[in-house]
Amino acid sequence: MVFTLFALVLVLAAAAYLASRNRAARVDAAGDAALHSRPSYHGLHSALWVLMAGLGVLVISTIGATWFITSTLMNEIAQARPDAPLIEHQLILSDARAIADGRISSGSDMLREQVADRFAGLDRIRNVVVIVLTLGAAILGGVLSYLSISPEWRARNRSETVIRAGLLVMAVIAILTTIGIVLSLIFETVRFFNAIDWQLHKFIFGTTWSPLSGVFEGKMDAEKVGALPLFAGTLLITLIAMLVAVPVGLFAAIFLSDFASKTVRSYAKPMLEILAGIPTVVYGFFAAITVAPFLRDTGEAIGIRVASESALAAGIVMGIMIIPFISSLSDDVINSVPQSLRDGSLGLGATKAETIRQVVLPAALPGIVSAVLLAISRAIGETMIVVMAAGQGANLTANPLEAVTTVTVQIVALITGDTEASTAAGPAFTLGFTLFVLTLLMNMAAQRLVARYRERYD
Amino acid sequence: MYDTPNSERDVDQKEIKFSARDVQVFYGDTHAIKDVDVDLEDKTVTAFIGPSGCGKSTFLRCLNRMNDTIDVCRVEGDIRLDGEDIYDKRVDPVQLRAKVGMVFQKPNPFPKSIYDNVAYGPKIHGLARTKGELDEIVEKSLRRAALWDEAKDRLETPGTGLSGGQQQRLCIARAVATEPEVLLMDEPCSALDPIATSQVEELIDDLRSNFSVVIVTHSMQQAARVSQKTAFFHLGSMVEFGETGHIFTNPNDERTESYITGRIG
Repeated sequence: MVFTLFALVLVLAAAAYLASRNRAARVDAAGDAALHSRPSYHGLHSALWVLMAGLGVLVISTIGATWFITSTLMNEIAQARPDAPLIEHQLILSDARAIADGRISSGSDMLREQVADRFAGLDRIRNVVVIVLTLGAAILGGVLSYLSISPEWRARNRSETVIRAGLLVMAVIAILTTIGIVLSLIFETVRFFNAIDWQLHKFIFGTTWSPLSGVFEGKMDAEKVGALPLFAGTLLITLIAMLVAVPVGLFAAIFLSDFASKTVRSYAKPMLEILAGIPTVVYGFFAAITVAPFLRDTGEAIGIRVASESALAAGIVMGIMIIPFISSLSDDVINSVPQSLRDGSLGLGATKAETIRQVVLPAALPGIVSAVLLAISRAIGETMIVVMAAGQGANLTANPLEAVTTVTVQIVALITGDTEASTAAGPAFTLGFTLFVLTLLMNMAAQRLVARYRERYD
Repeated sequence: MYDTPNSERDVDQKEIKFSARDVQVFYGDTHAIKDVDVDLEDKTVTAFIGPSGCGKSTFLRCLNRMNDTIDVCRVEGDIRLDGEDIYDKRVDPVQLRAKVGMVFQKPNPFPKSIYDNVAYGPKIHGLARTKGELDEIVEKSLRRAALWDEAKDRLETPGTGLSGGQQQRLCIARAVATEPEVLLMDEPCSALDPIATSQVEELIDDLRSNFSVVIVTHSMQQAARVSQKTAFFHLGSMVEFGETGHIFTNPNDERTESYITGRIG
């Protein structure tokens, strides 16, 4: 019903647009005075009012009526079954609704049938009320704006104000969402730290990570929430990924932008971009099923013990995933270095390699640095590959051949594990918050760095 | 300058630096330069004039093989520097460009300090063995480009921070620092204001004592002021070449006359 009404309001808005525009055009044609706004703005103004009044009343009346029905019925159920717990009241209500809608309910008795009848009756009234209020408001809005059309009516300014307000609302929604996410992270983090009596050093420098081992006694064990191995693992894998991705990506970008012929470029660039389109879960099982066993077997063949889930395998595959990221961003940056700089250098008798090393790369450096830092942020937050290929045990080591775990892997383990979500959320949110702060700091550092180079080079 | 009999007599005794015969340039299917024959003399300023798109810049870029950097460009014919064919397979364009320097239309200082901008060429070609020698080359080049007094206290600041005219003089200093034998200038003053233009023009006249200078210009006054020889290009052909005074006062070809008097262009 809501959707039908929504469509109806849209139709009304379209009608209001046409009617108002035509009326404005007629006023204009009558020629008594010049119209302040073009007829289409008068139409727009009417349409906006129909939409705002109609949709606003639709939403408010639907929510209000539903709330009224629910609370009335809950009261009645509570009077009929005063000793049953709230959850049973809710069950009765949802069963009654199911009966009223002709769906399958969990049970059927006198009370449920009775409530279902009441619900059906109230629901009919609600529908009528919502329809009347919505259409009434929409028509009222349309008629009022239709009647206000006159040569001096500033429809353009008014509709622009409405549109500006709409844009503002969208911007505010985006900002509020971000703030909301950060706040929820902060609250859960504070709760978690409360549970371990604010022994922050235990979290940051502790080396044993097993946060849920104490929860059956109803408390967090501060000795077992040491996240150091997690961050060390994240760092190790990110480092390996960067060692793979930065040279390959950067040199590929240099080749593509300055050495490749047009034909090679037209094939190679889309190929690299295909690499960027592969879902990370595919990289994940590529790492776990192809790369990790290969590394293990190679290691055995030359007498080195390599764990079957190793930081090296995860890091290499993550590096491969990030190559197109770095190469495509760097390629753009290198291409945007003006040709006049290259000509200037070549004109002095520099070779192509000298030109690239001494002129093009320094000029492109801020962009390349920010590309690399963005790539690091991605590597730190990457989850699928490490979940499949890096391992689960919190193991503090700098040896890339051993299994390590990362922050993201542990968050996944906590949230998808068997422990109740509200208990597991504490450590998970805290890890998430720390990760968020780290990436934020790095992005800020990147921007600082880039700004400083910009000052020097532009 | 062109009207002083002294310099005209000088010109007559100079030896040939560049000699081009039957030069054709194609951009893809477009025939951009047709049958150009010209002899450019040493220690002389030669101006290329002509309407936009007539091929004067294209021909200039043939002289240091800058057209090699454009994929679709093809050069035919015979261009000799001191009697050596510069399009010969054995000639390395990189070494050629060290001998034939170039200054571009828009000032294009590298994103480096003023010092590093000037030291760039000498470092690449190994012209200085010690830091002291390099310092000397930088100072000499900046003095030649009449930029030393303005830049000597800020050698470590970015070259991009200079004004437009200073930037162009920096680019000239950068070009002369590699001790080229010929200096090509592609409309070096088109992005400059009149004061900076007159500074660069004075500079070009000074440079003549050491280098052979070829300048492409849109301004006929500039060509008349700075050059001893002038070549007029029209629709890809070199219509007329001769003493600057002669071209401007008594051209042989009626197209030259039309251009100089402003009827075509």
